[in-house]
Amino acid sequence: MKPAFDPARFKLVVCLGPGGVGKTTISAALAVAGTSKGSAVDVMTVDPAPRLLDALGLGGDASEPRDVPLHGIRIAHPPHAKRARLRALKLDPKQTFDAIMTRYAPSAAARDTMLGNRIYRNLSGALAGVGDYMAMEKLLELASNTATDLIVLDTPPAAEALDFLDAPRRLLELLNSRAVALLGTPIVGLFRSRLGIVDLAARAVLSAFDRVTGLNLLGDVQAFVRGFEGMYEGFAERAKAADELLRADGTAIVVVTTPESGRIEQAREFIESLERTGLHARAVIVNRAMGPLPDAKELAAAKIPSALKRKLARNLADYAALKEREARSLDALRSAMPSGARLLLSPELDREPRSLGDLAKIGANLRTA
Amino acid sequence: MTLPRVLFVTGKGGTGKSTVAAALAEALSHRRPTLLADLDRRLSAATLLGASPQGDAPVRVSDSLHVIALSQRAELNSFIRRIVPVAAISERMLRSRTFGYVTAALPGLEAFLLLDRLRIMAGDAALEDRYVVIDAPASGSALELLAVASGVKEIAPAGTLNRLANGVEAFLADRDRFAAIITTTPEELALREALDTARALRDQMGIAVAGAIVNRTVDALFEESELAALAGLRAHRQLAQKRTAQRIAALAACAELERAGMAAFELPMLFRAAMGVREVSALARALESGVLNR
Repeated sequence: MKPAFDPARFKLVVCLGPGGVGKTTISAALAVAGTSKGSAVDVMTVDPAPRLLDALGLGGDASEPRDVPLHGIRIAHPPHAKRARLRALKLDPKQTFDAIMTRYAPSAAARDTMLGNRIYRNLSGALAGVGDYMAMEKLLELASNTATDLIVLDTPPAAEALDFLDAPRRLLELLNSRAVALLGTPIVGLFRSRLGIVDLAARAVLSAFDRVTGLNLLGDVQAFVRGFEGMYEGFAERAKAADELLRADGTAIVVVTTPESGRIEQAREFIESLERTGLHARAVIVNRAMGPLPDAKELAAAKIPSALKRKLARNLADYAALKEREARSLDALRSAMPSGARLLLSPELDREPRSLGDLAKIGANLRTA
Repeated sequence: MTLPRVLFVTGKGGTGKSTVAAALAEALSHRRPTLLADLDRRLSAATLLGASPQGDAPVRVSDSLHVIALSQRAELNSFIRRIVPVAAISERMLRSRTFGYVTAALPGLEAFLLLDRLRIMAGDAALEDRYVVIDAPASGSALELLAVASGVKEIAPAGTLNRLANGVEAFLADRDRFAAIITTTPEELALREALDTARALRDQMGIAVAGAIVNRTVDALFEESELAALAGLRAHRQLAQKRTAQRIAALAACAELERAGMAAFELPMLFRAAMGVREVSALARALESGVLNR
């Protein structure tokens, strides 16, 4: 049977979606599906649940790709089978950022100044946005490996689709801001520069802000931006490369959600903002969709005690109401689907997946809605 | 259960956090005036109560229930306006890209100011004998938000912010003023996250956890023996078994939460085709007879 969505047709699959919808599970399942087709696959996860970690053999430090033993899944017929490989890694934003600084810093002294800078420490901590950027960096690193056929990328939970995709551009804008670089220069120098009156005002207010708050930000911000001198080119190139990779033909953006109405609404917003930036979701996967319900007529005709029959009928009516709720959500989603994208359902499971076999089953059970 | 002035409702995404916050606010409003503070950009909790707050003013749901929308960005703006009282300058600064970049490099600042706002709201609530229920971010982001107070003390060793940070820390640690309520469902991942969140709050941050609400639990409809007798009707038996399994999972979840030292309360699954104002009222009644009576 032809699969509803075949990740092996792509070089990169990016899973986007709000938190708590099972993005990591779906990413892992798509990676396993690719592997069983005979592809050499890397899957990068962001915040995997413990059982999923076990399933992927990702205990301990796994910030670099690690081979996952291919137990319990069937690999497509040779000759493809030879190539089949699954590697998994867990993103470590802080470590990735430090590695980049080390790579681009012009000297060891410059690097150390940077790593000690307060703004940098905040940027590279567990704060929103940086994880997004770092995922992108790691992705470029993985994509440069020609021995890999497919990369499946799980992304940090996001309130908005572009949080992740836009991260390189946002960092670049910060670095590229002349105004920020000039924040700490003496006022005389500023008049010679071509800063607008607004930036001058902002600078004046920022110094007042510094005094009142006790933050002493100006110096740090300036040191931070100056620290990036000589590194800017490198970053700009990476950002451009990342953008090109996301827009490439071999890239599939997959939006993951669950049938709950709030999540469906979020998924719609994701799809719309993707469309606005010219990116198109190839598939929308609704995770944990309810299975088919039993037949009411069969129950009516059954010869069982009437008390039990009433209970079974009530049970059916209860779950039918939930199914109806789900159907309404799916209808709302269907009307927002971009042309050429597929709406897929991943049925709910009795328990969390804990092996590659479980993940393979999820991939195989994806069906068109 | 004795409740502090401010209840911070958080939980794994998808556990019905906003629904629980809305229902809890409605239930509490039957005792005392209550304010629901919606921190979610999408205002799902407010919408569930039929309210659409805009700007920084509370809107009325009933005589004793009001809803307000709070955002980090708005708190930063009002902080700037406070310390830069000349409107022409502060407005200009808020529109300046430069300033945007600087605050973007210090994301903790906005979050911190939001916490300070909650501290002030708690003070007002005590004076006016009110409750404040917060529809907080999902647990991961909520922990980051609450941890920001100590982070700010590090980056601002002196000055106004340092002073505010001390006040916020004291507020969060005061169980008469502030406590978290953790939402979960009987499912494994949600339960795991609830337990981790409770541990982080209590053990690492010294923040009280008033209780856990196990959302979407089902009632036990079938006896084991009844189902054993159902030889035919395979699909119906499976659906009945699903319900029984969900019942067992709910009981197990409550037991595990209690073992971890938390008061656990069940909130029933509403088998309805839509979730709206009426459904929230039904959940509020369930909370009143359950949680609030204990």
